[in-house]
Order: sequence, then structure tokens, then C-alpha cells
Amino acid sequence: MEDSARPAGARVLLLVPARTYRAADFLTAAARVGAGLVIGSDGALPLGGLPVVHADPGDPHRSASRLVAAAGPVDAVVAADTPMLALAAVVAARLGLAHNPVEAVIAATDKTQQRRRWADAGIAQPAFRIVPAAASPDSLRQAAARVGYPCVVKAVSLSASQGILRAGDPAAAVAAAGRIRQILAAAGRPWHEPLLVEEYVPGQELSIDGLLARGDLTVTAVFDKPGTPEGPTFEETVLITPSRLPGHVLAAAVRTAGQAARALGLRYGPIHAELRIDDRGGQVRPVMLELAARSIGGLCSRALRFGGGQSLEELVLASALGRRVSPRRLPGTSGVLMLPVERAGVLRAVQGRAEAAAVPGITGLTITIPIGQPVQPLPEGDRYLGFVFAEGQDYQQVERALATARQRLRVVIR
Amino acid sequence: MDLAGTVAAVLERGVLSSVIARGGGLRVAAVEDGVAILEVTGSPGAVLPLVSRIEALIRVAVPENTGVRITGPGAGPPGSAAGSLAEQARRVLDAEINPVIAAHRGHVALDSVEQGWVRIRFEGGCQSCSLAEVTLRQGIEPMLRARLPGMTGLADVTDHEAGTRPFFSAEKR
Repeated sequence: MEDSARPAGARVLLLVPARTYRAADFLTAAARVGAGLVIGSDGALPLGGLPVVHADPGDPHRSASRLVAAAGPVDAVVAADTPMLALAAVVAARLGLAHNPVEAVIAATDKTQQRRRWADAGIAQPAFRIVPAAASPDSLRQAAARVGYPCVVKAVSLSASQGILRAGDPAAAVAAAGRIRQILAAAGRPWHEPLLVEEYVPGQELSIDGLLARGDLTVTAVFDKPGTPEGPTFEETVLITPSRLPGHVLAAAVRTAGQAARALGLRYGPIHAELRIDDRGGQVRPVMLELAARSIGGLCSRALRFGGGQSLEELVLASALGRRVSPRRLPGTSGVLMLPVERAGVLRAVQGRAEAAAVPGITGLTITIPIGQPVQPLPEGDRYLGFVFAEGQDYQQVERALATARQRLRVVIR
Repeated sequence: MDLAGTVAAVLERGVLSSVIARGGGLRVAAVEDGVAILEVTGSPGAVLPLVSRIEALIRVAVPENTGVRITGPGAGPPGSAAGSLAEQARRVLDAEINPVIAAHRGHVALDSVEQGWVRIRFEGGCQSCSLAEVTLRQGIEPMLRARLPGMTGLADVTDHEAGTRPFFSAEKR
């Protein structure tokens, strides 16, 4: 096997959805690994430079035909973000490239299918009930009673904590379901989409990123989530890596994530798994919350840097090209703060950026929502205001830097 | 530690990972008369949007430093053929690129040309658009490289965070 650093001459079909944070990082990664790119996108303008092919993830079969006809020979197909995952699998299958089965990728985007497949495979997860769209409030209350209170009501097709609410009693569960149905309608989801009602699992939350090759999982990063949210909404705010969890807990969590990925039928490419460590009754049991067939979202991957200065996107590309990937994290601790939207309104200003950026240990600060745009907090919202990055000698230093930076930012929403 | 070493440590701690993430490199070439001379490698666009942050970091950590100058490796003499390169670049932008980008309410302006580096600024729908980098690297850069053999590099100096009407906004998915 070749080393991951130099896949010279390789050509990658990169599928880039229009509304991704990750286009720049994948383009940079491709340049750094020396891979030529063909871009498929539902948004890019064909300027007559390098190949850009129109690709509509809502019409995967026609788009796949167009991509196969226009892309020329490629060595790998990579989706830069969730909306392109299924299309990438369809195209890779047509080109005879190593890929995940299409149905496995689709299963990974549907929380009901995840729950069912994990239940069949005996993967530890919250007790759950799937509530059909037409279910009465009584049915919903019964489902909630079966999993026990507090419970969590979830949209099955959304991500980034959108459309997820904790409910402490039957009335709250019915109210949460009604609110989530409105969110789904606003997101243009099909009316018949069911809801998931599941047990609330207390305990520390973590995320595991890794790369699958023929079903074997190589971990690229484990992020702790200090200040794990307890509801009613579930903002992800601070992520810090490497994890402080004891080795045996971490090993069990990684094992669970790998089993969960394989239970979905995933065999290749990046995964991002979210788990909680269920510590009820003195046990320490990793429990699968969700898993996506992509690497960590937003700009969070910028908190990671590997040997030779490689980015996570470089590892993803190298892995897709069949190269051996040996992720060696650079020493030290790093973290990212995703700035949550705290109230609804129009974003008027984010003040104090220079002061926040000057906090020792802060290595980057990016506001990603343009001033003047309407914003909504969770569970309706689907975006973060921006990202703050920190590095340090140890966990406390990074956590403190991110907290101090957040204190110095004054978000004006009116 | 000498002044250059101190500046290098500040950069490494505060900004180097961001530069590398954007496909560039940065090193301290010298500190002369209180001015830190920083040499950029790789994509100049990896550093230029970070210049104000670099200056702020150095100003806070090394008060005796009074300024920052960014240079590129192996660049020709300042201003060589800049006028003609600028004219050529502007012609390509206006005739071939802007008419297409207008479909997304966008516009590309020539900011400056120096030592072979063409610096452009995205405006309108392109400013803070989530696909601006795709437009830059897959569309504009190869087109300019094909038309302007004298171009050393292409840098995006847009303040994307100041964009208010991007054609596409990123969502966390």
C-alpha cells in the first residue's frame, strides 16, 4: 500500500452541495494531496475552468448518469457533505469503485432505520418507539410512557440537533411532537414522515470520527462534549479532543461505533458517531445516539490536525483513494466552540471579535451567518452563528480559552 | 529567544494551523527595524485574509514590533509587468467571468496585482457564498492561468464574513 501523503495523479469526483461549510476545506485538501478534482454540485456555476458538473441530489439516478458521462475516469467519489451521500454511492456503484451500498447510506440518514437495524444487531441504544405521522396524541403518549419519562422526541430526517426536544411528561411530549411537525413542514419534509420517541439517556456525550475500510474502523478523532446538554434542546457547543474518558470506556465506545456502522451496512469512508456513556446504576455503558456516513460537520474538522499538517479532509480523500491512512494526531489538545443562536430575530452584529480572538489559545474565529440574516434557535434553527477554535497544552486550558472567548463575544439579535 | 523567534512562536501558536488548513505556509523571514517580514508559501489566499489577525497577534505579543510585511518566495521585482498583468486580468474578469457570475448576483473585482499575484475580491452574491472557493479554484483560477501566463498566484482577499447577501449560505448538516 502507498502512503497517504502523495496519491499523485489521482482524480476524485467531489460532490459538493451548495449549502455546505466544507467546500473550501475539501478543495484545499485535494490540492495538498495532489489529487485532480471534478466537481459535481447543485450550485456551482460552470465557468469553463476545471470540470464542474450539475448534480441534483434529489434526482440521483439522472444526476449519476450525467456525472458518469461528464466526469471522465476518476479513482474515487467523495461526498463533501450529507446531501450528496446517496448520490455518491450511486455514482461509485456505476463506476465500479469501492463504495457503501446505497441502501446503507440511506439507512444512515434515517433515524428510524438506524434504530431498527441497531436493535436487530443488539447495539446498545436508547429504548425507542416509532410514531407514525397519523398517530393520535394518545398513541404518542403511550409511546412515551413505554420508553419512560423524561423522553426525547425526534425528527427522523434532520440533523445538527434540529427538531429534537426533551419532554418530561405526557403533555410536554405531545407539545414537542406538534412543534417538531411544524419544523418538518417548514423544512419541506414529506407529510408522512414518522417521529421517534426515545428514552433520555443521561451521561457524558462524545463523538467519534473514523474511516471505514472494508468495514474496519480507524478512529481519526474522539471529541468530548463538556457541558453535555440535558434538554429541552440539545445544542452542541464545545467539543474538545482528545477525549478524557478512561481508556477502557473509550475502547468500548469505539467498538460500539464500529459495530453500529457495520450494522447499518457501511463499509467504506468516513463516519461520525454520537454516543452517550450511560452511567445509571453504576454502570459505564456506551449507548449509540446517532451515526452519519460522513465526517464531523460544520467547520469542526478545523480543530483537527494530523501528522505532516494533514487535515481530516485529506485523510478522507486518501482513504477514498484506497491509500493507507494512519491518523497521527499532533500533540496537544484542541477544541471548537459552535456558537449557538440564543434567540430568534435578525442577526445585527457580533461584537467583541478582536477581544475574543486575542484570548490566549484561541486559534481561529469565524462567523458564518451573514449580518442581516434571520436566525432561529433550536429546535427550529439549523445553523450555528460561527465557530471558535482553540489549542492548548491541556484540556482545561482549551476549555477555559473557549469559555473566555465566548464571554467576550456580544451577539446582537433583534 | 530573539525577536524573530518570538514572532515565529506567536504565529505557530495563534495562526499557523489556520494557514495550513487553507493550503498555505508561513514563516518569519526576518525582523528588520521593528518590521516582521513574513514569507508565504503555497496559496497566498491562505494568508491574505488572515493578515489583520496576524498583525493583531504580533502587536499584542511583541509590542516592540511595529509592522508586518508579507512577501512571497521567489517573486520577481515589485511591480514588474504589473500594469499589463492587471489590465489582462481585468479584461478576463470583465469579459469572461463576471457575465457568468452575474447569474448568481455575484461580481469579481480586481483588487491589486503585485509581484505576479493577482488579488481579487468577491462581491454581491459571491461574498460569503458557501461555494465561493469552488468558483475560485475550479473556475476563475484555471481560466486566469490559461489566459495570463505571467500570473504567479491568485488570492481571494474578500472579507467573506462581511458579506450580507450570499447566493448560498452554509447549513450544518
